[in-house]
Amino acid sequence: MQEAVLENKYVPKPAKIKEYHRESPDNFSITLDIKFKHDPGQFVQISIPGIGESPISICSYSGENLRLNIREVGNVTKALGKMKKGDPVFIRGPYGRGYPMQLLKGNDVVIIGGGCGVAPLRGIIEYIEHHRQDYGKVYLFLGFRSPDDILFKREMDHWKIKYNLNLSVDQLPPGTCFDGKVEFITKLVEATQLTNQNKVVFLCGPPKMMDIASGILMKKGFHEDQIFVSAERLMYCAEGICCHCMIHEKFCCKDGPVFRYDELKGYKND
Amino acid sequence: MATYTVRKLDLRSLLQKIMQSSELIAPVKTDLVRFQVVEDPHDICLTEQSFYPVKEFIFRKHEVLVSFNGKKVITPVLEPKERVIFGLRRCDLNAIMHQDKALIEVDVNYRAQRQNLTLIGYHCNEAPSQYCFCGTLELKDFYDMMFFDRGDEFIVDVATENGSRIIGKYPEFFRKSNHKVTEADKKIKNADRLFKTDISKLYDHPDWQKGVDKCLSCAACTSLCPTCYCFEIKDEVSIHDTKKVDRVREWSSCQLKGFSRVAGNHVFRDNRKERFKHRIYHQLDYFKKRYGINMCVGCGRCITACPTRIDFVDIINGMK
Repeated sequence: MQEAVLENKYVPKPAKIKEYHRESPDNFSITLDIKFKHDPGQFVQISIPGIGESPISICSYSGENLRLNIREVGNVTKALGKMKKGDPVFIRGPYGRGYPMQLLKGNDVVIIGGGCGVAPLRGIIEYIEHHRQDYGKVYLFLGFRSPDDILFKREMDHWKIKYNLNLSVDQLPPGTCFDGKVEFITKLVEATQLTNQNKVVFLCGPPKMMDIASGILMKKGFHEDQIFVSAERLMYCAEGICCHCMIHEKFCCKDGPVFRYDELKGYKND
Repeated sequence: MATYTVRKLDLRSLLQKIMQSSELIAPVKTDLVRFQVVEDPHDICLTEQSFYPVKEFIFRKHEVLVSFNGKKVITPVLEPKERVIFGLRRCDLNAIMHQDKALIEVDVNYRAQRQNLTLIGYHCNEAPSQYCFCGTLELKDFYDMMFFDRGDEFIVDVATENGSRIIGKYPEFFRKSNHKVTEADKKIKNADRLFKTDISKLYDHPDWQKGVDKCLSCAACTSLCPTCYCFEIKDEVSIHDTKKVDRVREWSSCQLKGFSRVAGNHVFRDNRKERFKHRIYHQLDYFKKRYGINMCVGCGRCITACPTRIDFVDIINGMK
């Protein structure tokens, strides 16, 4: 038996909300007063004592104030949504394997995101902004349910100028206006003339959208090892032991959440 | 390290002595046979397999990981007490080793439970249950001391310092022996039921349906499995002071539908087939890919406990 002291990995660090910004009716971004080094695509466990913990992907750049984009769907996220500037939260992390940005230098980057799946992808965009010379062209395909649900509206104008931005909404409810396409984002991917040459694809969104998008990319000649997906699973421990996030033998919290497409090949949902 | 003999007549006196200096946990016959803290060594039952495994004494059902008092974070102080577990079968001991592989380097609470713990085995000569199948699973020697039942006496193999300490403390019960414990001693009769231990290529086999059809998703199998260690973490607020919160870890089960539910109510393993297969594959395939050893130890408790008696060993054996 080893007698070395093991630290309690469940002890979170206290943090305060520095900035709160509502992105859409059910989505908001918070910036916290803590900073640490991390990779794009990694996540943290954010918690409110008495309510619980929730795994949230990081959408800021490493070393800057931690920023999280959160959709209000569960107990913790709904409680966070009601918080304001200065309120305390608890954080542990960063966890997981992020996007291998170092290895992918020199490539054009295709980013395909759906709904709140855009949050971890924002981390990549931030990364590219800081290392612009290392990457070629950047294509953004971002799809949302409706114009009200569009996230990162503040950043969107900036992205439109700097990158090849394709924005779409699934539906246009009566009384709303939108100057982009009203279509599934996967349709926009299908309609482009993208070839697989010197490209890497980062994909994140609802499971169905990821399936369809990867199918389209394959048809366009992309190889499985050019596509990186970010998977979503229920996670408690984030240390690879609670088993909730298992995708066959892979632990989403340890081996992922970012996987190269061929690593999950044939696994589907079970 | 060394081999001794202990007279069967002396066993109770030895355990009584051990109980004076540390907590003794052993299989006790109540309504069923279960591991519990021994009050009287006469209650100890070695003739049947325990229905409940020893798991709950090491990997606790409910344990505080961290507490909060307002903004203050309180880390629980863990003070492992001196404990001896007696009567662990070869499968039970291997189950502890397998949980160690996953948890001991990560989980501070688990590690504390493993400290100051002496493991004393009781080796089966014959499979104690008709559902045992440890024979083909390549179980290892993992114990501080192992008692081999030889009629009027036990041959005791001492493997670690922890084991020697017991000998040193109670030398009157142990007589040095020249017997060398061999593979023949470790052979367990009637436990070679599982013919196929590599199921990696059988994932899409239609025969899994035979098990799925009978599965109720009740999670008895995972609760009674000595190796299953999945859990969930939740916050418990004190009813006396809502500022006081315990963040606790509680057993969970991959057989329950909510186990893989994510935000927005999407359930990844939505039907029983996926959940049933996930359990078997975690036991006999996934764990091996990660830690180089099968998680399953072949104790058969999941089959004994199953209300519809799904015998996955038969199902796997029958796959062509």
